[in-house]
Amino acid sequence: MIFDNIMLATSELMSISTMLLMIVGVVAGLIAGAIPGFTIAMAVVLVLPFTFGMTAVQGLATMIGVYVGGLSGGLMSGILTGIPGTPSSVATTFDGFPMARKGRPGLALGIGVWASFFGGVISAIVLVLVAPQLARIGQEFQPWDYFALMAFALTVTASLAGDNMVKGLIAGLIGLLVATIGEDGVVGVPRFTFGSEAVQQGFAFLPVLIGLFAFTRLLSDVQDTKKAQQNLGAHSAESVRIEHMKAAKEVLSRWGNLIRSSLIGVFTGVLPAAGSSISNILAYDQAKKYSKTPEKFGTGTIDGIVAPESANNATAGGALIMMMALGIPGDIVTAVMLGALLIHDVVPSPTFISEQPTIAYAIFIAFFLANFMMLAMQSLTLRGFVAVTRVRMYMLASIILFYCALGVFALNNVQFDMWTLFWFGVGGFIMRSLGFPIVPVILGVVLGNIAENALAQVIAISTDPTMFLMRPWSLFFIVLGLFSSFFHVYQKNRAVKRWTLGFIPAMCVCLSLPVFMMDGVVRPVLGVGLGLFGVYLIVQRARSGWQLPKAEPVMEVGDL
Amino acid sequence: MNRLNRDTIIAVILLLLVGFFAYTSFAIKTPVFERLAPGQMGPGVWPRIILTGLAIMGLIYFFQSIVSPPPSGEKRGGLVGWYRHYKNPIWCFAVFAAFLTIIPILGMLIAGLLFVFTLMTMLGPKDGAAIKRHVLTTGGTVGGMWFIFACLLEVQLPKGQLTGTFDEWLLVNICGIVSSIGALFADAGPSCSALLASV
Repeated sequence: MIFDNIMLATSELMSISTMLLMIVGVVAGLIAGAIPGFTIAMAVVLVLPFTFGMTAVQGLATMIGVYVGGLSGGLMSGILTGIPGTPSSVATTFDGFPMARKGRPGLALGIGVWASFFGGVISAIVLVLVAPQLARIGQEFQPWDYFALMAFALTVTASLAGDNMVKGLIAGLIGLLVATIGEDGVVGVPRFTFGSEAVQQGFAFLPVLIGLFAFTRLLSDVQDTKKAQQNLGAHSAESVRIEHMKAAKEVLSRWGNLIRSSLIGVFTGVLPAAGSSISNILAYDQAKKYSKTPEKFGTGTIDGIVAPESANNATAGGALIMMMALGIPGDIVTAVMLGALLIHDVVPSPTFISEQPTIAYAIFIAFFLANFMMLAMQSLTLRGFVAVTRVRMYMLASIILFYCALGVFALNNVQFDMWTLFWFGVGGFIMRSLGFPIVPVILGVVLGNIAENALAQVIAISTDPTMFLMRPWSLFFIVLGLFSSFFHVYQKNRAVKRWTLGFIPAMCVCLSLPVFMMDGVVRPVLGVGLGLFGVYLIVQRARSGWQLPKAEPVMEVGDL
Repeated sequence: MNRLNRDTIIAVILLLLVGFFAYTSFAIKTPVFERLAPGQMGPGVWPRIILTGLAIMGLIYFFQSIVSPPPSGEKRGGLVGWYRHYKNPIWCFAVFAAFLTIIPILGMLIAGLLFVFTLMTMLGPKDGAAIKRHVLTTGGTVGGMWFIFACLLEVQLPKGQLTGTFDEWLLVNICGIVSSIGALFADAGPSCSALLASV
């Protein structure tokens, strides 16, 4: 069965046109990722209109190409100019740029490229192994569990706003409210349309997303006239040659760091809205902690490039796991992909892999192939990167704004969509200026209808709210959501306040209960293990008199 | 205006908006002919749940802004300072809104050319060389994108009331040439494949 699916997906994917589209996507992603201020999500958003006329497999393969290319493209400018091309490559500059300045730019680039490649391949393997299993678990979900999962996703997204968690939650709720505008899905009653016929069908998801994200981002880029008129950062990179052989050997010899960082990347990708901008910092931090020579970090050490680059590429696999297994986007890029799937009448849910095996397996294979294409195209795009960085930001922004309007119009051939783009651009820009994060709004818009349907099913079955606490998965997500809400406060006060010593043990003990309640043998055993681990931590800390450990310098993700 | 005031004002505006939407949500009624089944959630329930959450968060935000005001480190410059800070985004929005307004009159291509050129000139330098660069870039990029969408992707882009004939002429001539070239290749395709197969 799996073999049949793989063969079917391969035959769909292995046409010359699809391969060419993927290569173009990878190259476009590499160049876009290399441009400082130009995010991967923006590149994927811009590619989206071209995919309307393609088949679902072709469109997704192209977008995956851009995604993987973009994740790796950021390292070029990060290493050669010291300015990360995307937030995913911030930590790469810590050691990549010093190494390049020491006269080894070719090696630094090579290590970045190969670490990205291996990170991507590891996450592709995890994706193939985990996504179908997680989807199988997802099929156990009842409406209560699904609703709790949505609430958890929004809470995590909001908690990533750090000190502004209240603003994050407000943003998420605004997103949910936006999703209610238009006809109600059950009886077709118009809601908050204020008599406008154009709004009757609700706002199309993609114009909202592009308006909130791309429009807002571009306007922030041109806000400062001086910066807007500067080049994007052209430097003499024409003469650099990537040292592939040496770099591959160096990366493989650090397999421990490589695997650890890749797994950090996958795990971060699985968390809704926690994308590669966070994973690269986390992986760098961990690599430094586990290193025998942590003092060398920041001076051009190889481990300092391997960790962030493998982690950021691996994040894509994690984000795809969530999208394919549960229908929840792990980041903005997968939210766009989700939108693209909806255009082709494919609704990602736990049954997605079993109901649409060709598309699902094509995504697996495309993700795998895109990493190889990235490896092959990196040297080629180095020259393209130099050419593109000569463009000025204000010119790029003007052209892209027009392109956004054109692309949004092409979606449904409706001019109202362009106005949607405009109004959500205005709204997004105001929110951003006032310190409200944008990602929770987008997630709210994506999850709004799904959450409402889940709640409608819950109410139709039973009006007893305690069911949320009686169902193991629902309770699991509620507990996880509660702890993740306070995670930022915990992280901020770790090693400073005594109560933080009880945070992780309490989380383990609380989570053990729903895991213990689950069906089968393995999960209850895991639940007992988790509970015992929590108790062990409590006893250990009580024995040491709840002494705070020595404060270690921790990298603050939110600060970056 | 310091941040304390700003946050408080935003919280108040948010609460007012929530109140307005909550009031409007009571107008969401199920039609008489669409009877809800027992246990079926009414169309107004979900929005009210969200609005309740928003009201709670808005209140927390309001009290937070009063009890622990964020440090005010912003430059003050009154309305002029505010305008200077947001000048470029404001112009971008204005020009974009104008672009959307004139699309039905001038069509996507000409409106797009005007939009990109105007925005570039507003945001960028205004000397002769820069203007020349803006004209060339605008022509190349907007024309190129119009060609891709209208001719290759065959999207029916909006035609202008004033420029409808011109748009039609462009479509017939430029896209017509492309489709005849495409047809030529399509005709040649099978014979080429046969040739390749025989080789």
